[in-house]
Amino acid sequence: MLIRQTVSIVCLLALFLGACSSETETEVAAPEPSAEDAEAALIARAMEIHDRVLTADTHADTPLRMIEPGFDMAERHDPNESGSKVDYPRMKEGGLDAIFFAAFVAQGIRDDDGKSRAKALGLQMIDAVRDSIEANSDAVGLALNPDDAYELEKAGKRAIYLAIENGYPIGDDVSNVELYFDKGVRYITLVHATNNDLADSATDPKGPEHDGISPLGAEVVAEMNRLGIMVDVSHGSDEVFYDAIEMSKAPIIATHSNARGLVEHKRNMTDDMLKKLAENGGVVQLTMLSDYLRDKPETPERDAAFAELSASTKPAAEMTLEERAAVRKARMEINEKYPVALATVSDAVDHIDYIVSVAGIDHVGIGCDFDGGGGIDGVFDASEVMNITIEMVRRGYTEEQIAKIWGGNVMRVFRDVQAVATELQAEEAA
Amino acid sequence: MSPRRLGQCLLLLALWSFASVGSAHPLRLSLSQIEYSDEQQTLTVSLRLFLMDVREALVFDPDSTELKFCQADEAEYAERLLLEYLNEFFYIRVNGNPVDLKIKSKQLSGEGINVALAIEFEHRQAPPLTSLEIKNAVFTDLFFDQSNVVYVHINGEDRSLMLGKDTPTHELRF
Repeated sequence: MLIRQTVSIVCLLALFLGACSSETETEVAAPEPSAEDAEAALIARAMEIHDRVLTADTHADTPLRMIEPGFDMAERHDPNESGSKVDYPRMKEGGLDAIFFAAFVAQGIRDDDGKSRAKALGLQMIDAVRDSIEANSDAVGLALNPDDAYELEKAGKRAIYLAIENGYPIGDDVSNVELYFDKGVRYITLVHATNNDLADSATDPKGPEHDGISPLGAEVVAEMNRLGIMVDVSHGSDEVFYDAIEMSKAPIIATHSNARGLVEHKRNMTDDMLKKLAENGGVVQLTMLSDYLRDKPETPERDAAFAELSASTKPAAEMTLEERAAVRKARMEINEKYPVALATVSDAVDHIDYIVSVAGIDHVGIGCDFDGGGGIDGVFDASEVMNITIEMVRRGYTEEQIAKIWGGNVMRVFRDVQAVATELQAEEAA
Repeated sequence: MSPRRLGQCLLLLALWSFASVGSAHPLRLSLSQIEYSDEQQTLTVSLRLFLMDVREALVFDPDSTELKFCQADEAEYAERLLLEYLNEFFYIRVNGNPVDLKIKSKQLSGEGINVALAIEFEHRQAPPLTSLEIKNAVFTDLFFDQSNVVYVHINGEDRSLMLGKDTPTHELRF
């Protein structure tokens, strides 16, 4: 792979220069740094880069957490206790400068009641995010434009962008797009796990309904273009991706998807899609979901432990409530002792390498899907995102490349989307 | 919305985790919906749970076919086990009084690991409804990261909240 070849060349060059230096400056060769020292130096260099570049995560379902009574974003939570993956202290610990909080609304029935309730829930979550930002204005700020993230970073604050995951809350009223824009929403994921009125899902068991984006969905895409809202195709079927490329006047984004060339999964993007995305000027944001990053591993010890427990228990229908509770506890203990191994940071950066090789360095970014199932070994929550940078440095990515991956690419797309909106609004006014 | 309509709504309510479709649910999630109107005088409660999680909780095997929910040969003890589990981890109190939840209907939807069991309860409730206390800690005894989203629609007012291990109960006032 190109990146690794680059690393090898750099290493050889360093060895050659090192040899020259030892001949001219001293007769005694300096001792080779130990592996530990070399690793510490690499980590130190990676952390400096991580600190200098804008780090932006384009997808977190944290707004759902924010409607949990008593949940406080200003408090640090233990992800292994609460399941929570993002709060402001952990964003700071991980050096995560910016994040898109997506208000996720599960797909319900597509009638007037369902749509109006979806809208109410979407607005409730958006308002919860805005209230949280206001209550923690010393630590975070609402970001509406690409430059806001850089300005907030300079001010020592985290940038919070708003988004909507699933176009369901738009209903069949395109004017709602402007309502959400005015609330601060800067991308909308057209569809989620099942088809909606706008588009087909990659994962609806009933299969396609519109063969891509519906006529209403096309109107919504046009309105998003007019306002400067990024069109997110994650969760959409392959046809939705191609329709979005065709329909959108601005580059598109996949806020949390990986490479199908490495892991066969409907939610991941094929090589052809990655190439088309590059031609479009868009970006795919790598997500930290184990099942999208690697094939499921074998778990013989875990399987044996569960089999042994099952063999020693009587049928559930014959148990008392206490006996059933005891078995559930025992099963939880097995889960804790023999967990299914999560994907690793190396798996994740394999996808970055792959996407770079297919689409180029300008078309990949990071959208962890924290609080929506995302979290792998080494990037389990927001406090650990620096490990992605460390692995990229280990593989020879330069600071300029890392800056693109961590935020530069998505902010370029965001600027392009806004520029198109400005043009469209000028045309409209003329 | 009529209770029947609500049932239809919940049948279509996508339970899939945010990520969806894979070898396991990346996020442990349940959805529930509570609805009441003075006009209908009926409190309708619907739960939508991953069938794999229900099996894990009731018979300790996510892949078990023992209970056969919603099939002609459903195990005679299936509903008893389900209610005994729910009584431990889920309740509703209206105006301070516990609601005796009786199953009105059950239905399966989805495919593979994403099959969901929808359970609908009904309770006659005279107005006014001034407070609603909800406990939803289902599966928090199995999964540390279980999240239970509750949609509440009372007399046209929509409120939603998330409950889990840290916050299993919450009271809403109207």
